[in-house]
Amino acid sequence: MDAHRIQYWVLLVLLAPPAASILAAALGPRFLRGQTHWLPILGVGAALVGSVNLFNQVRAAGEAHGSIVVELYRWIATVPDQWFSVNVLVDPLTAIMLLVVTGVALLVVVYSREYMSDHGHPVRGYERFFAYLALFVFSMCVLVLGGNFLLLYLGWEAVGLCSYLLIGFYYDRPSAAAAAKKAFLVNRIGDFGFGLAILLIYVTFQELDYQAVFAMVDAGTTASGEALTSGRVTAIALLLFCGAAGKSAQFPLYVWLPDAMEGPSPVSALIHAATMVTAGVYMVVRCGAIFAASPLAMALVATIGAFTALLAATIALVQFDMKRILAYSTISQLGYMFLGVGMYAGSAAIFHLFTHAFFKALLFLAAGSVMHAMGGVIDLRRFGGLRRVMPWTYATMLIGALSLAGIPLLSGFWSKDAIIHAAFENSRLLGWIGLLTALLTAFYTFRMVFLAFHGTTRVPDGVHAHEAGAWIKLPLVVLAVGSIFAGYADVTFLSGGFAGAFDPHGWFSHFLSSVTAPFAMHHAEFAAAGHMQKYGLLYMSSAVAIGGVILAYSLYVDSPMLGLIIRRAFPKTHQLLSNKYYVDEAYESWIVQPLRRLAAFCYAFDRYVIDGLVWLLTAVPRLAALVLRVFEQGRLQGYGTSMTIGLAAILFLILVIGG
Amino acid sequence: MNPLIQMSPEVCVVLGGCLVCLIGVARRSSARAVTSSVALVTLVVAMALTAWYGRPGDAIQPAGLLITQLSMYVRWITLIVGVLIVLVNAGTPADEERGEFFGMILFSIAGVMLTGCANDLVVLFLAVELVSVPTYILVGLSRTDARASEAAVKYFFLGALAAAIMVYGFSFLYGAAGTTVLRGASGGSLSEHVASAGRLTDFATIGLLLAFAGLSFKIAAVPFHAYAPDVYEGAASSVTGLLGFLPKLAGFAAMIHLLTAIGWQLPTSLLWLLWGVAAATMTVGNVLALLQTNVKRMLAYSSIAHSGYMLIGLLVGPALGAGPMHDGVAALLFYVAVYGTMNLGAFAALGSLTVRDEPAETLDDLAGLSRRAPWTALALTVCAFSLMGFPPTAGFLGKVYVFSSAFSLSPWHPFRTAMVVLVVIAVINSAIGAAYYLRIAAACYLRDADGQSRVSGDFMLRVGLGICGAAMVVLFVIPKPLVDRARYAAAAAHPRRDAHVSVVELPPS
Repeated sequence: MDAHRIQYWVLLVLLAPPAASILAAALGPRFLRGQTHWLPILGVGAALVGSVNLFNQVRAAGEAHGSIVVELYRWIATVPDQWFSVNVLVDPLTAIMLLVVTGVALLVVVYSREYMSDHGHPVRGYERFFAYLALFVFSMCVLVLGGNFLLLYLGWEAVGLCSYLLIGFYYDRPSAAAAAKKAFLVNRIGDFGFGLAILLIYVTFQELDYQAVFAMVDAGTTASGEALTSGRVTAIALLLFCGAAGKSAQFPLYVWLPDAMEGPSPVSALIHAATMVTAGVYMVVRCGAIFAASPLAMALVATIGAFTALLAATIALVQFDMKRILAYSTISQLGYMFLGVGMYAGSAAIFHLFTHAFFKALLFLAAGSVMHAMGGVIDLRRFGGLRRVMPWTYATMLIGALSLAGIPLLSGFWSKDAIIHAAFENSRLLGWIGLLTALLTAFYTFRMVFLAFHGTTRVPDGVHAHEAGAWIKLPLVVLAVGSIFAGYADVTFLSGGFAGAFDPHGWFSHFLSSVTAPFAMHHAEFAAAGHMQKYGLLYMSSAVAIGGVILAYSLYVDSPMLGLIIRRAFPKTHQLLSNKYYVDEAYESWIVQPLRRLAAFCYAFDRYVIDGLVWLLTAVPRLAALVLRVFEQGRLQGYGTSMTIGLAAILFLILVIGG
Repeated sequence: MNPLIQMSPEVCVVLGGCLVCLIGVARRSSARAVTSSVALVTLVVAMALTAWYGRPGDAIQPAGLLITQLSMYVRWITLIVGVLIVLVNAGTPADEERGEFFGMILFSIAGVMLTGCANDLVVLFLAVELVSVPTYILVGLSRTDARASEAAVKYFFLGALAAAIMVYGFSFLYGAAGTTVLRGASGGSLSEHVASAGRLTDFATIGLLLAFAGLSFKIAAVPFHAYAPDVYEGAASSVTGLLGFLPKLAGFAAMIHLLTAIGWQLPTSLLWLLWGVAAATMTVGNVLALLQTNVKRMLAYSSIAHSGYMLIGLLVGPALGAGPMHDGVAALLFYVAVYGTMNLGAFAALGSLTVRDEPAETLDDLAGLSRRAPWTALALTVCAFSLMGFPPTAGFLGKVYVFSSAFSLSPWHPFRTAMVVLVVIAVINSAIGAAYYLRIAAACYLRDADGQSRVSGDFMLRVGLGICGAAMVVLFVIPKPLVDRARYAAAAAHPRRDAHVSVVELPPS
């Protein structure tokens, strides 16, 4: 690959969004107002063009040579002439992440044009919204392009900041402000671990560049040439995963994501479904060399992933807020991705990230379209039967739901199957958990679809339900097409009967093979999967998905009474689920309240003890000033005297005592 | 070609100053109005001359000049910050005094540039006083206010005292070395004297001590700091911005010259003394700043504290070829440039605000500024964060460089432990500093919008303020150009470079 051309495209990707953000902030409120959206459309569009070009270059270079580090400039030197560089790593993983980020972002920006308007008038903070959105795209591009841990950390924190700002976009709403704070604080816990991981990496390897660090991990040495202990690697991997669990909403740090739905729907689609929350998966795959070197960390990643997937799916079964159902679904799907990584299937995880970006962004945007039409109401109990009122939204949402449920031949099917497949090969238990979660996923997804769109048409009082306009429809249609076909990026068509018509591991995993090599190296037998087992599983997961949809149909459309009876039969379970296992309450009483009491104590200590000490300390100079003032006739002379006395004292010290 | 052509940037600035003074006596107000533009053009021409003629090289004798990378660095940052100073002050003086005002600014700038080139005690003294004397006048001219006159008089008398102490010290050095030349091979010099004696004689030690005492006044170090709060408060805010930069840079440049001449072989007693001065300066500055509610006084004390941080770099001294994390002088030079800009920005923001036609001065005036003037509040906050040393601003890098340079001393260096302790003191002081810098940011953003200040600054002032704020972020993102130049400049101060100084005799006139 030509470093110079890569550099130009990278600069386009990195500079266009922040330029759009700054211009939107500077010009928006005064001059552009309702037209501000053009700036991020242009900026993110330019970034998309750059991403497509980078992707083409990487693809043209082939798997073996599709990786290049371009140093943009040197930042600061640590020891003489060893620099922390601002360098970017362009490889297949980066190329795919950039496509996802800029592609979904562009659609979301287009969608926001209409969504952030109220009857054609821009809502308050319209310019601010687009400035933040463009800033987010920039941060996310830094995160995925960065060629060292420092830039990764920079992007990581910056996306967290943008997430905070956008969750709290309606900051005059107390619930939104609280949700933003919660997201920020929970992420701080994860980021603290992540920061420690980076410090530990630096202490161990005296390097922060990916390639240098990974090379040393592969060679099993530290910077001083000593052997790298497995304990050290595991510590680094676990601390890194701590950051990933925070950003990607894994147990036990997932609690912020459902609340984050207080932000505008486009934000939920872009940040809290398609891009930012997948940063943790990206990071773990990027650091594959470190994770693969620690079987313990891998097992933990897989276990946490599977557990979170199941936990979130069960909670989603009984929620009534459409966006919250989707939020729990996102947590669950992210759990799948970590399950995939932990089972040494890095490419399957990234593949699921890729398809998930399409169908989950689609579902969020469609839910946003419903919310927009319902005048801000998103509770499934307050409307229903919208199928005829909003045919476009219904059709696209149905496609997204089918894909999420894992109905055969849609994109979600292929990627989810790849992960469950990998899970079965390594651990039967985790494989069954994956299948069970797939059943639950199909059920809760279609429960939501049936409740919202089927049955008799009901809308909240005083709302004139209407289909959305072209600015909303266009992104929905594009994403729906993606939700159907994106999965074929990893399917190879073969000749022969139906069973042999395709092979679930295709172009996508080959494309990523250089990135996921560390996983393959540590788990060579993965490639040699049995033929029958492979296709048997395909059929089984198809059956599970279809079964889930049928179950939802029978409970919510065919015979709604049956659902009530089941709920009555297990009141405790239902209550437990609808209260989300009381996790928030447990955190409140075990963590938040003790910390609050500690804070109250610290405040009192600071207020009375420290302030008192400071007052006492400052009393000394004040007393001295009182004394000095007696000797000071005029202030000028006083200063002169103090200078001379000071000089005399110094001379005395040096010549008499020191000499 | 006459070797003095290398001095053309300084000559240009002085001539420009004279021209500005002449224009200032014009009868028409519109003619007087162009003085600031003429000053700007002068500085730009001086930059061009610096780029063409100013190359580091030889010592010019008997003119007492030596142009090194250090001189080049001082020239460049003085000219660049000088442009900002003129921008920020464009609307400060009264209409009739514009000529003198910008003339004095140019003279002071020329003085700093000359200080960077000085290689002779006499030239050094003249240069440093050329920096100071115009600033006394500037303080008096800046406001038609009794407080400004009082500040000017105080500043003048105390400055004169400091100058006397300094020149007294220079006379001791002359007595010890028998020559006023600092460095250079032919005809004897202070560096040769120290090199041949192997150590600093007692006589020279006293001279150095007195010289440093005088220069401590320029950088506002304890115990010669007392004037700073009164003078800073008395002068108009935008003039105060330059008071924190020009004398400081000149003072540090002069100190580096003196220490380079003695090969950085400070006697232990002097090292301990400077150590104590540094610790006392940063502590006194920060603790007293904490007690202020007047922002100008607060920043005045913070200016004292920053001198304390910079003294760390001076104590560490230069290390040939190392980065600023290991080279005290490079770190100091980086810091002083950054400090000058952020300090100017903070005072410019303050200077652009008025409360009922009176200049804004207190924290209460700033309350809720972000709602009334979002961009001014942003620039002020960026500068305050930079002064605090908070990323992503250049002030953070400055502190990182200065503090880590002290850690880079080799483990068997006799002063390593002491320097580490000094850094610990400095870090504690930074935390204290954060308390009052954050008060500025908090007043702008968190307090109710009950402050009375309005933006009344002219366009030039706002441009200057914007550049200061933006520069702090840009220098954090891309510090290398400035860092590299600071490294080259510090290399010029390294004693091992002394061997390379060759002398050019001026042709007989």
